[in-house]
Order: sequence, then C-alpha cells, then structure tokens
Amino acid sequence: MGLNIKELVTREKTNLESFATKIVAIDAYNAIYQFLSTIRGADGLYLTDSEGRATSHLSGLLYRNVNFLSIGIKPVYVFDGKPPSLKTAEIERRKQIKKDATVKFENAMARGDLKDARKFAQQTTSLKDDMIQDSKRLLEHFGIPYIDAPSEGEATAAHLTNTGHAFASASQDFDSVLFGAKRLVRNFTNSGRRRIPNRNAYVDVEPEIIQVKKTLENLELTREELVDVGILIGTDFNPSGFERVGPKTALKMIKQHSKLEEIPQIQEHLHDIDYNQIRNIFLNPNVADVDEIIFQDVNYEAITKYLVDERSFSSDRVKLTLGRLKKALDTKSHNLDQWFK
Amino acid sequence: MTFEAKIGNAEDLKTIISSISTLVEEANFVATSEGITFRGMDPSHVALIDISWPNTAFERYECDSENNFGVRIEEFSKIVKRAEKKDGIEISISEQNQMLITIGKNRKYKIRLIESSATETPLPKITFDSKITLSSSKLQKMLGDVQVISDYLTIRTDGSKAYFSGKGDSGEVEVGVEETKVHSTPRTKPTDKAPTEEKPELPPPDKADGGQIKVRTGETDVEDDSIEIYSKEDSTGAYSLEYLNPVVKAVGNSGGKITCEFSSAKPLRVEFKVANMGRIHFYLAPRVES
Repeated sequence: MGLNIKELVTREKTNLESFATKIVAIDAYNAIYQFLSTIRGADGLYLTDSEGRATSHLSGLLYRNVNFLSIGIKPVYVFDGKPPSLKTAEIERRKQIKKDATVKFENAMARGDLKDARKFAQQTTSLKDDMIQDSKRLLEHFGIPYIDAPSEGEATAAHLTNTGHAFASASQDFDSVLFGAKRLVRNFTNSGRRRIPNRNAYVDVEPEIIQVKKTLENLELTREELVDVGILIGTDFNPSGFERVGPKTALKMIKQHSKLEEIPQIQEHLHDIDYNQIRNIFLNPNVADVDEIIFQDVNYEAITKYLVDERSFSSDRVKLTLGRLKKALDTKSHNLDQWFK
Repeated sequence: MTFEAKIGNAEDLKTIISSISTLVEEANFVATSEGITFRGMDPSHVALIDISWPNTAFERYECDSENNFGVRIEEFSKIVKRAEKKDGIEISISEQNQMLITIGKNRKYKIRLIESSATETPLPKITFDSKITLSSSKLQKMLGDVQVISDYLTIRTDGSKAYFSGKGDSGEVEVGVEETKVHSTPRTKPTDKAPTEEKPELPPPDKADGGQIKVRTGETDVEDDSIEIYSKEDSTGAYSLEYLNPVVKAVGNSGGKITCEFSSAKPLRVEFKVANMGRIHFYLAPRVES
C-alpha cells in the first residue's frame, strides 16, 4: 500500500513545535485509519462505547488535536471523496487482505493465541462511514475545519500547500510527493512514544519533513520523471508495478531514459496499464479549491457532552485533557505576526 | 569575497550566542562592511531577537561584500565556550562553506555552515508609551521575585513609578520601583569615566563581614543602580517569563543597562547595550488575557 519511495526522498527530522502557528493539511483517512489500527485494547480490538461502537478514532482525534492546538498548530482535515476508478484493483486487494485477516484472527482466537489475534485484528481495520461522520462531528466541536475532497484527500492536501493555504500536508503515504505537495510531514499524527508491534519495546517516532523541491534536486529529476519512477515501482493505481523493478532500478531506468515510453526493458508490459491516466491523476489531480480556512473556538462543553454522554469516555480523562488544552490556550502569548503588518 | 572578524574578548561572542540560543537552533548571520547582524524568531513567533554588532566593536573587521552564513547554534556555542575570557576569537568563512574559528593564536576549528533559509524576519511596527531603564542586576532581581509566584510578568507604569507583578496558583506578587530622583546630578555623567582596566583597590578580605556589602572603591565596582521611568501614557502589559528570563540571564551577566519599552497589550522591547558590542533588541509578544 502506498508508494515505496522512502529511500529515494530526502527526509529531514523535525518536531511538532516547528509547526506552531502554521496550517497543516492532514490526510484525514490516513490519520483516522492509523488511530483505528493502533489504538486498541489489550485484546487487540477497538475501544468501544456502551453500545459496542468503535471509539478508537475519537480517542486518537481527541488527544492529537488537543496536542496540536496546545502547541498552536492549526490542523485542517482533508477527507477522501470518490476514489479514481483506477484504484479499484488496489481497493479490492485491500479488501481481500482484510477478509483473510479476519479469518486468521478468528482462528487465532479459537487457538487462544492472543499475540497473533492482536496482529491480525489490526489488519482487519477498515474505515466505515459512521466513523467518518463521528470524526467530523468531533472536529466541528473542536472548531477545526475539514474539507471534503472530490477525489483523493492527499491530492487536495498537496494542492493547499501550493496555493499557500497550508504550510505542509501530513500523511504517512509518499503519494503526496507525487501529487506535488510543497512539504510533506510524516509521523505528524502519530509522533511520540510508540510500542513496536508484537515486541515489548518502544520507539520514539519523530516527525519528518520532506521538501519536494529538495528531493527533486537531490535526485536530479523533474516531478514528471518522479511520477514515472513511482509508476515503475507501483502506485495505488498499478499496485504491482513492474516485475523485478524496485526503487533503485526504477530511478536508474528513468535517469537513463527519462520516461516510461523510452525504457526498452518494460515495453512489453507497459501497455497493460493505463500509464497516461495514472500520470494524469498525479500531475493534474481532481482537487477542491477553498477560499479561506476558518478556525472556530473550541466548544469544550460540546466535546465533553459528545464523548462522555454519548460515547462512554471517562469523564475524568476528558476533563483533564480538555483542562490541559484550555490552560494552554488561555495562557498563550500572542505571537508577533499581527504587528508585522 | 572576504570576511574576517576578530573579536577581542570572547565573552562578547558568548553573550551574543547565548542570547540567540534561547530562541533558535539555527541562526543566520548577515555580515556586511558595516558589521554583523542577526535577526530571528522562535518557531512559534512569540519572541524575536534583533542584533546589531557594528564593525567598530571588533578588534579587526574585514568584509568586502554581503555574506550570509548559517550555523547550528549549539555547535557554534560549544566551540566558543572553549575560549577563556581573555582569549581573542577570529572567525572567517571559507569557500567550501565552512567557518573557521581560531581561538587565541593556535586553536583552530572548522565547522560546516548550514544552508541559510531565505525567509526574512520583519520587525514589529509599534510605538512605545512607557520606558523603564535600569541595571541588569536590578531587573534580574525583580524577575526572580515575580517568578516564584507566576509564569508571567505584568508590568505597569504609573507616572514615575512602575510595578512588576504576577499571579499564580499560590498567590500574587507585586514589586514596585520608583525613578531615582537624581536628575540634577546624573550618575552617568563625567565622574564615571569610561571603564578602564584600572585595578580597584580591594580592601583586605574580611570574613566576619560576610561580604554582604560591595565595597565601593574604584568606579568599576560601582553599580549604577539608577532607574529611569518615562511614561507618555500609563501602560500595562503581561509577558511570559519563560521567554524573558533566559535572555535576561544570558545577556545580563555582561552588566550594562537595560531598557524595557512597551505599550498596553502590545509587544515588549528590551534593549541590552553590552560593553562595546552594539545592541541586542529582544521583542516579546504580550500574553493574551482571557
């Protein structure tokens, strides 16, 4: 899943604080999916409310956004719209993985193997419509804006970095680089201490920033060429890529021949995929245009009411967490920006 | 391009660097034939430092065109700290994007420069209604008084008086100061000849005395503790000590007078004039009262 160009891009370590006062466009599906797959009970299942509905995504959104707003970061969430039709194969593939994982999970539970059960449970994660609605509702109470993208959320997030509406886009997937995001932040919604799956150890996950311009300069490629490199390796729109072509080979091929049509080794299979269409998805994506991104005040009461009364969150924890946010927002210094005008 | 500067006293450079290090990790300096300047803000844009270090403050200064150079402040600071008080420090930039630092005569360091980011930091456009000038030790003392109770400082001027106050979970504090009424015989006038290297006659150490009183002998020992307060319009502003304390501490030790200027609910500007090295302006956004 996602695009395997990690070793090709120029990644620089950063920290959340350096995004203070900045608008960051977050790939909402990507973030919420992560919350659902990592925030789990000891049994490996979602956290749930008294009616058995999942609340892992709400827990993630609560703590993350309190953190962002306390630091002074302005998050805006971009939700996926209709996936491009070329993504069908990838979506089917993911569905199959989940189906298999569900069977494996049930078997593991029957065997009493909790470790395996936990592992497979994670792989069954899927994002349901009601979870999206829950998430949007919580964001509204936080006064945090969200945008419904016409197609891929990442594409619109990337677009916002170029129109100047956002400083960076945040996603784990490297597709944003191909979509032309000026800056991409990874580990933005999951930075901090994290348990390594299936091991009793922790790692510190730190945010990293990828500046597309720098990456292209270092690789000595144009964005068009990088998209072709991506297609060679495999994107969401041609998940299997080309046989025996990994990131290194792909880069070499494009450096030598500069575009897909000129690479002799792949001509036999090139026409199995609609590569022009894929290029077009990345280079001229279907995106939402926004006028102004407006942030509202945090509605502490509405958040508490929703999470505690409706979704069975512990009243004390919510109170404590929101208290932390209120304190941070109330005692915050203005920044100097308003006096520069 | 040539850029070479020799600083006679390592302490000046240490002061400059430690003031910058309270705000940023990476610093971009600009060197012109006039001298060296630095301007930068902390990541959340709450505070800004603007330094001007004129060529006259250097023992030797050569710069024939504008040079921008960026350093990681921590790396630079570690090296400069190796110098002792009396050591001179020479800095220059090589073609290979390296900074050469020579401490004394024969300790030579080379560090890699970092790409200087192009963003220019503007200065806040504000006018100041109130102005308080006092010694750095007096200011440090008052900030310390407020800090034990509060995370932020409220400064209020009332004619020729000023109040430094704070509120916290445990209670409240207020420290008042008045303008010293000695305008007819200003202390900064002639009798205080420019500080020389003359050794003050130290009195014999007297253990019983506990050293509680500074014996006023040579002028260099006399601390000018006059306070000037000027208010065009009485003002009240609240500022975070988290930002203010470190910079006052960093620069304060080099003595000198400090001027605090502010207007109600507007940024504070603190001016440090240090020895012979020009000035440091520290701007701090007001705290939001809600």
